[in-house]
Amino acid sequence: MASQGKRGGVSLPDRPSDSSSVLAKISRSSIVVRGKEAAGDAAFVAKKLLRSTGKAAWIAGTTFLVLVVPLIVEMDREQQLNELELQQASLLGTPAPK
Amino acid sequence: MATPVPPPPAAADTAVDYLNLPCPIPFEELHREAFSKFLSPFQSSISVLFLLVCNLLISLFPIVSLKPDLFEGMRFDFTKMLNQKFTLNHSVLMGPTEIPSQSTETIKIPTAHYEFGSTFIDHPRLLLWGRILTDGRLNARVKWDLAENLTFKANAQLTNEPHMSHGVFNFEYKGKDYRSQFQLGNGALLGANYIQSVTQHLSLGGEVFWAGQHRKSGVGYGARYNTDKMVATGQVASTGMVVLSYVQKVSEKVSLASEFMCNYLSRDATASFGYDYILRQCRLRGKIDSNGCVAAFLEERLNMGLNFILSAELDHKKKDYKFGFGLTVGE
Repeated sequence: MASQGKRGGVSLPDRPSDSSSVLAKISRSSIVVRGKEAAGDAAFVAKKLLRSTGKAAWIAGTTFLVLVVPLIVEMDREQQLNELELQQASLLGTPAPK
Repeated sequence: MATPVPPPPAAADTAVDYLNLPCPIPFEELHREAFSKFLSPFQSSISVLFLLVCNLLISLFPIVSLKPDLFEGMRFDFTKMLNQKFTLNHSVLMGPTEIPSQSTETIKIPTAHYEFGSTFIDHPRLLLWGRILTDGRLNARVKWDLAENLTFKANAQLTNEPHMSHGVFNFEYKGKDYRSQFQLGNGALLGANYIQSVTQHLSLGGEVFWAGQHRKSGVGYGARYNTDKMVATGQVASTGMVVLSYVQKVSEKVSLASEFMCNYLSRDATASFGYDYILRQCRLRGKIDSNGCVAAFLEERLNMGLNFILSAELDHKKKDYKFGFGLTVGE
């Protein structure tokens, strides 16, 4: 069986000669070549774009983490403190100091 | 800060009383608002003259002293007031310190310092200030009012490395609407500057300096425009340095600052933008600049006389990240 398969494999040069010529014709046709090139370029650009967006996102994220997150946290604390003071003032009945 | 009185200042603007102009701030503190928002981490007490010179000669001032606020590692400061006039100061700093090197990569070595300091203030005539580190570095400052409008200032930095010790003496004469200074330093450093109020808000000044040891001399001009909401300053020097800064006070708690610094001769320019929030429990300062450097500094008040400090600095370009935390005890 295997030998037959092999023989078939050996006999391939005869048959595929015309089929490969079709394939070769197709693969040699300018559309396919250009398509291949375009696909390669697209993949390359996509890879680069992905990498640079990743880097940009990383920089933006870390910058945000350092510059904005502490600000948000502190503003929130300040807000809470203000509210607490207002509440206490209203409980004690004194006018809120503002 | 509501000032619903536009007519009087407008009237004052149209007819400037040139005989009653306010006294300008010292020339060396021209950018003090912007600097205190730590756009440029220069200590305001270091003279602009020094700054110009150190722009010329990079080795003159160690880079470490240009970053007083941001730190890396851990620090602990303890301040003890012995009496009204005398204060003692202990601080411990542990963390990596950068070694200045020619290569682009930064080299850091782990260090630990103990710093002892004392301050004597006989308000408002005399101020003595000293700090000494375990590695032998000593910083000392004197500010002494010799007469009503003549002030003597001295600033010294001593190290055990040769040629790294500096001393500057400074005589300041304060007039009614002007100030002039004369500076004398080691290495045959001579300087003089003069600043004059031109209108209520605008003051103009100039300086000359000569560093004899390095055979450099230069001239600088400065201008400052301030109202109670904003301060704009500009400075040009013959060393090629141009510094422009603008600080806007948005509200009582928030100020925004921006600064542009460029060196015409070496063709490098930096622009930075920063914010300063002073809230009830904390003070938060942030900065971003065109070198890809982001920094934030948070001082959180935990209790009376107990402050917690967080410092962060990211240098995206150099991939150099510095984080620090610390405690400050006593005020």
